[in-house]
Amino acid sequence: MKMTRKSVAIAISIVMVGGLALSGNAMAQDATETPADEKVTLNVGLDSDVTSLNPYNLCCGPDYEYLGLVYDISMDWSREDLTAAPGFVQSWTPNADSTEWTLKIAEGATWHDGEPVTAEDVAFSFQLVADNAMPFYKDYLPFEPTFEVVDDTTVLWTSKEPTFAPEVPAYIPIVPEHIWGEFVVEDDPSATRKAVKEFANEEAVGSGPFILDEYIKGQFMRLEANPDYWGPKPASLDEIVFTFYQSQEAMVQALKSGEIDYAYGLNPSLYNSLKGEANIAQRAGDGGCWGNFAWNFGGQGPKANADPTIHDLTFRQAVATGIDRQEIIDKVYQGTATMGYSVLMPGRNGSWYADIPQELRFDYDAAAANTMLDEAGYTDTDGDGIRNGEEGENLDLELLVISDVNGSVDTGKLLQGYLSDMQIDSFLTTVNTTKAYDLWAIGQYDAYVWDWCPDPDPDFMMSVFTTEQCLGWSDGCYSNPAYDELYDLQQTQLDRADREATIDEMQLMLAEEIPTMVLNYWSDLSAYRTDRFDPATWSRTPNNDAGVYLFGATLDSYFTLEPLSDAAASSSSPGLPAWIWIVGIGAVAVIGVGIVLARRKGPDEDDA
Amino acid sequence: MGAQGYLIRKVLYALLTLLFVLVFNFILFRIMPSDPVELLARSQRLTEVDQQNLREELGLCVPPEGSTKCSFLNQLKTLPTYLQQTITGHLGRSLSSANTVVNEISSRLWPTVLLVGLGTILSVTFGLMIGIKGGWNRGSTFDTSSLYGGMVFYSMPEGWLGMLLLIVFAGTLGWFPSGGYQSAEDQTGLAHIVDVANHLFLPLLTLTLGYIGEYAIIMRSSLLEVMNDDFVQTARAKGVQDRLVRRHHAVPNAILPTFTLIFLSFGFVLGGAIIVETVFSWPGIGLLTYDAIQELDYPLIQGIFLLLSATVIVFNLIADVTYGYIDPRIREA
Repeated sequence: MKMTRKSVAIAISIVMVGGLALSGNAMAQDATETPADEKVTLNVGLDSDVTSLNPYNLCCGPDYEYLGLVYDISMDWSREDLTAAPGFVQSWTPNADSTEWTLKIAEGATWHDGEPVTAEDVAFSFQLVADNAMPFYKDYLPFEPTFEVVDDTTVLWTSKEPTFAPEVPAYIPIVPEHIWGEFVVEDDPSATRKAVKEFANEEAVGSGPFILDEYIKGQFMRLEANPDYWGPKPASLDEIVFTFYQSQEAMVQALKSGEIDYAYGLNPSLYNSLKGEANIAQRAGDGGCWGNFAWNFGGQGPKANADPTIHDLTFRQAVATGIDRQEIIDKVYQGTATMGYSVLMPGRNGSWYADIPQELRFDYDAAAANTMLDEAGYTDTDGDGIRNGEEGENLDLELLVISDVNGSVDTGKLLQGYLSDMQIDSFLTTVNTTKAYDLWAIGQYDAYVWDWCPDPDPDFMMSVFTTEQCLGWSDGCYSNPAYDELYDLQQTQLDRADREATIDEMQLMLAEEIPTMVLNYWSDLSAYRTDRFDPATWSRTPNNDAGVYLFGATLDSYFTLEPLSDAAASSSSPGLPAWIWIVGIGAVAVIGVGIVLARRKGPDEDDA
Repeated sequence: MGAQGYLIRKVLYALLTLLFVLVFNFILFRIMPSDPVELLARSQRLTEVDQQNLREELGLCVPPEGSTKCSFLNQLKTLPTYLQQTITGHLGRSLSSANTVVNEISSRLWPTVLLVGLGTILSVTFGLMIGIKGGWNRGSTFDTSSLYGGMVFYSMPEGWLGMLLLIVFAGTLGWFPSGGYQSAEDQTGLAHIVDVANHLFLPLLTLTLGYIGEYAIIMRSSLLEVMNDDFVQTARAKGVQDRLVRRHHAVPNAILPTFTLIFLSFGFVLGGAIIVETVFSWPGIGLLTYDAIQELDYPLIQGIFLLLSATVIVFNLIADVTYGYIDPRIREA
């Protein structure tokens, strides 16, 4: 009896495993032969997701790539110096006093849902931002402008003051009025903002060169080329897939195995680890951001740290002299960052950038730094090894460092060493960005290590240091009336040369005053596979040696990339084929059933 | 007290604990130093009017005129609204995504149940089998190697183990994907299932290897204790076959202490596996918790906390009831 049962179990097992193997093999063939493989897909890996699909809730790097690919934004950028170039808005002509600008828009554009893009949509998109002070975008539209439709392709921008704003490429998306119009609550900006910002926008109807095909939060975003785009079409790409990784290490492994073609935003050590890897090339472009060491001047309210020492210019200049910026570049950024002195950047800001003269660079000299502090009266009066301030208090600084900001914590540790060499006590408070905003808003820090990424036009970056921006964008409520006057002046200068001279003067003033110290210019560190797309077909933004391939101001690479003739059209996700899974699971199930059957107790096994 | 009384008592305790968790949740998130609305006001540049609207929407206390903060007593007045909203499933809106908390959590439930649930089942099954076999043959090669092997994996940080598997099987060998729940290719039916299985394999292996040791070691030591008990000796003296002594006398008694551990583990399934989900970009509750804490998304953290507490309480209740059913001595205690 027992033998019979065992034999049956074994026979069933053999039949099931064999059957599963055969059927699995057949199904596997169905599963792997998908027509989707014909498409040319660029797979891009990122270590962060887009913030939202709603263009009014965007904030950070990858968000603007999504915005530019799915939506048309007002203008394009010059490939040479990132100034305005014809894009969706193809021309912009001012009247005599620059209070009225005539915008000509592209003809023949359609929304991704098939409706035509009209001048009414364009006027609506701008007016929505201007009337309801949409955060992040409103500063592009100063002096309470109105937007009026003149004809099918013409919109008139009227400003209460003369302005050059229409000449600055604004990241304001052109959105369809037939979708977003329903969120406008007449004469109630707050209700309108709330309704607009709460819209999930899962279908994302834009008029850009790519159409949102599928998005799974935290996983991937798949965009398809828009066959009806009014402008130039991609040379070969049918699809772009952005895959979001929680860890950069996983993203690098995906690049090595060929799951992705491009890994964006690598940290220096992972970037350097890819040197010499087969079929992988590195790309260090101008990152468009700089690391800053900003002082808190304490204007945020009663709880704010308001250390009078920080207001002493000699103290700030002495500390700047005591900081070894080259060591920070070498140790924290492993040589991938470059030395910088101005708040504007040569690559990002082109001719707006001013070269800072030697005497305002405060290059590292520890002995000179100590002498400056001695001469300013900051000596160690109580003999405890720490310098004392005017009231006899020890000089100690609370440094805020931010765990999710590139290099902030490690830079902070080095800064502690430099301060110690200057006999200044310090302690680090390490927080994430969200918490850092919290402490920043109430001014509970003496200095912090963060970063800035200027727009190509200097207006925004220069506005950060005005008195008005205390608790707005200001690092630490720096206030200098002379600087504020220059800022107001440049806003009214319609002649580029005049404005450039003012911007130069402001940069020198900041270099001397050091409300924030420019620590270094970051590089944009990426790596890409060389065996799928022709490496010569990547485009640079701006078009120079330091230009980046992706995530720059323009979207050129998506239009110029071409696959190598002998490469697969699309990198595919690795994994075991279906038949192995089926056989494996089947075998486990069968063996389990076999064991259970074989172990079932017979009448002769009773333990009584 | 009979079985019915025992059951009623346990359910009442569970309900009381749940009520305590609800109130604790309310207080905890209102004594936090950071005001969620203020936080959002800064990062999203909300005006005063926007802030007031948001407070009302979140069911938070609106500060009286001339003040920027609510007193604790004023906040307590919002407790009934909070209880009513929570019980009716209105957990508010996530601050970071503008999606409702219920939607955010429910979209992550299935991946977490799949990964952590399956991981728990596999590690419990294999762990108990290894523990029984090792304990019964104490000192054998199998016992020694499984004991030390289990200890090594159990003491190994999950993130490190996951990273190691990722580098070997994804980056170097290219057998499995480097992360995520599914690939971006448009797949349906069997192809989709296989795709998910391929993505699931490495995180599941990490979790299973990481937890197998825990169950094996507890089962082994529990079995060793029972092996010297009189009833086992009696069975042997009666001439019962060794494997039958193990199966019918030793294991059923030894397995009791591991029951609580197993049920508690299932209670934590919905909490996800924060580290493994982060390493493998697995879109489960663990990753959601990590992101919510990173972004100080209080409504979402509050929702996850509530879900986690409720599931632990429910599984604890199931464990108590089952335990009482299996071992009548507990019911009578």
